[in-house]
Amino acid sequence: MTGRDGEPTEPVADGGTEDPAPDGGVEDATAEGEAPLETGGTVQSDIERAELSIKEQFENIRQTRRRRAVGWVALLGVLGYLLGQGMAATEMIRPELRWSAFADALTQYFPVTSFGGVPFIDFGQYYEFIVELNLLYDPSVGDLLLQWPPDFWAFFVEELGMFTIFGEAGITLSMGFVGTIIGFPLALVFSILASERVTPFPFNFIFRAVMSFIRAIPAIVWALIFVPLASLGPVPATLAIGLNTVGNLGRLFVEDLEELEEGPIEAMQTTGASKPQIIFFGMLSQVKTSFIAWTLYIFEINVRSAVTVGVIGAGGLGSVVNAQRGQFEYTNMMATLLCIFILIMAVEIFSQRLRARLRSDEEKRGWWELVTGFPQRMAESAMR
Amino acid sequence: MKKIVVDGVTKTFGDTVALDNVSFEVPAGEFVAILGVSGSGKSTLLRCMSALTEPTEGEIIIDEEPMVTPRPEVAMIFQQHNIIGDMTAYSNALSGAIHEAGLVESIFQLQDRDEKERALEALDTVGLLDEAQKKARRMSGGQQQRVGIARALVQRPTVLLADEPVASLDPGSAQDVMRYLQHAAEQRDLTTFISLHQVNIARKFGQRFIGLRDGQKVFDGYRDELTIDAVDKIYGDIDTEGMFVRPDSEPDGSPTEVAR
Repeated sequence: MTGRDGEPTEPVADGGTEDPAPDGGVEDATAEGEAPLETGGTVQSDIERAELSIKEQFENIRQTRRRRAVGWVALLGVLGYLLGQGMAATEMIRPELRWSAFADALTQYFPVTSFGGVPFIDFGQYYEFIVELNLLYDPSVGDLLLQWPPDFWAFFVEELGMFTIFGEAGITLSMGFVGTIIGFPLALVFSILASERVTPFPFNFIFRAVMSFIRAIPAIVWALIFVPLASLGPVPATLAIGLNTVGNLGRLFVEDLEELEEGPIEAMQTTGASKPQIIFFGMLSQVKTSFIAWTLYIFEINVRSAVTVGVIGAGGLGSVVNAQRGQFEYTNMMATLLCIFILIMAVEIFSQRLRARLRSDEEKRGWWELVTGFPQRMAESAMR
Repeated sequence: MKKIVVDGVTKTFGDTVALDNVSFEVPAGEFVAILGVSGSGKSTLLRCMSALTEPTEGEIIIDEEPMVTPRPEVAMIFQQHNIIGDMTAYSNALSGAIHEAGLVESIFQLQDRDEKERALEALDTVGLLDEAQKKARRMSGGQQQRVGIARALVQRPTVLLADEPVASLDPGSAQDVMRYLQHAAEQRDLTTFISLHQVNIARKFGQRFIGLRDGQKVFDGYRDELTIDAVDKIYGDIDTEGMFVRPDSEPDGSPTEVAR
């Protein structure tokens, strides 16, 4: 016990974690601690008191830790129980897994060829299918540009080739693009009206509720809802994406409008501006950059959701995936997934670069420089 | 004419009394400095005068008309200038004339040539004509504040209210901004109210002084009446040494002269 006087903190630090002994130790200490109190002077009793309160604190910490441990065990128990229930509901408890079928599918997903005895994934098969179905490039449109002399009128005006040149990927891309453009103005109007500054308290929630309702239903279901209107194809899909944009983009806009600074709004008030002018100059001018950035982000998401919506047969790469799956053409399906990957990556890189530039405060590069400086920057980032 | 009357104005925020029965009368054309420590009610007074805040009691009459809503002829300049960072100095100045244009007209800047020239004139008054095309965001603090002044001038105000216009500026820029304010007020014959916490700046530029302490008016007088005792009354027992030296000696190294 004499050793404890010199190092009073140590039992607290150590004992709590691993040492089961403190139980006994504490009792010892209190028993011994009383004896010197009777005989010893004030200095001694001060030390004793300090030792006592350390013991007390040590005991407190131990109890807290015990309680916390019980809590964790209980939480794990509940989670385990819920997991079991959930797995029963999802038929995961005794799933009928067909490993051999899956192995078969895998060999078709990734067709293997060998080159000089070394096995390779046969990208040739993917490539054949991609060319056959014009997944990434439509030669009938592209040739208008590649022929000599290039027929710009036919390409840009008669054939409207800006998106169709990219074949099925172009359809998916344009679904996301048009959906974003349709949704943007509505998202803007709804978010402004949902802002408490513009619409007084209970009424602004009408617009918030509408946006929540739109969000509650996924784009793919909205597409199904629009099928009677426009029959299965890219039209209901694009409408659905547009509508979904109102819900999602509007929500992001609302968040931004919540955090406006009062200053510029007040400044516009003192200039005698009308209410719409206050909204435009005082409010929207503050969030312009951020709104453009959010719209690009939603465009990214919309292209992805154009793939998903396509799966129900609405056109583009999504429908090709579903059609090939239906015909058990797993290699072709994987080839399409590869195209989806390329498309999404391209859109993300484009959108993220643009957003980074919008958000950075540095002097902006001109568009021309952005294009002509591209090889240089690519090389620079490759060297890094 | 153009008299500013503040009559028994009281403003409370919950239990806090920001302004306590403040009254004064200012004839047209005076350059008034409102003095006081932070929280003495300077900002609240100016906000009441611009009708951004409604007084709990009392009223403010400008040009024989009570201030109930903001009016373009009463312009306000803010400490944080509150100009629009994404727009150019010129567009910001032009936004002062917004009340004369419709929404579409103002968004696409389809105002008359007159108004556009007025915006450029105002930028000239604050010495920023050459920077007209610069994004406000990329300007220095002092320049941004001057854009704020230009915007206020484009409103064609008769009364100019400035809430701590130089509080967040370095001494040099503060002198500049004050000089431009004074110049604009003289040139356009404005009645000006500027809240300041720097006594030396106030003494250098002010003509009349109104002192606030804990929401009460504790001083109202002209330059010769602003003695050390008066400053003590406004600021409490602080070290006022030095405050009365600078105003008499011309500060050196102030870079700009007032444009014409």
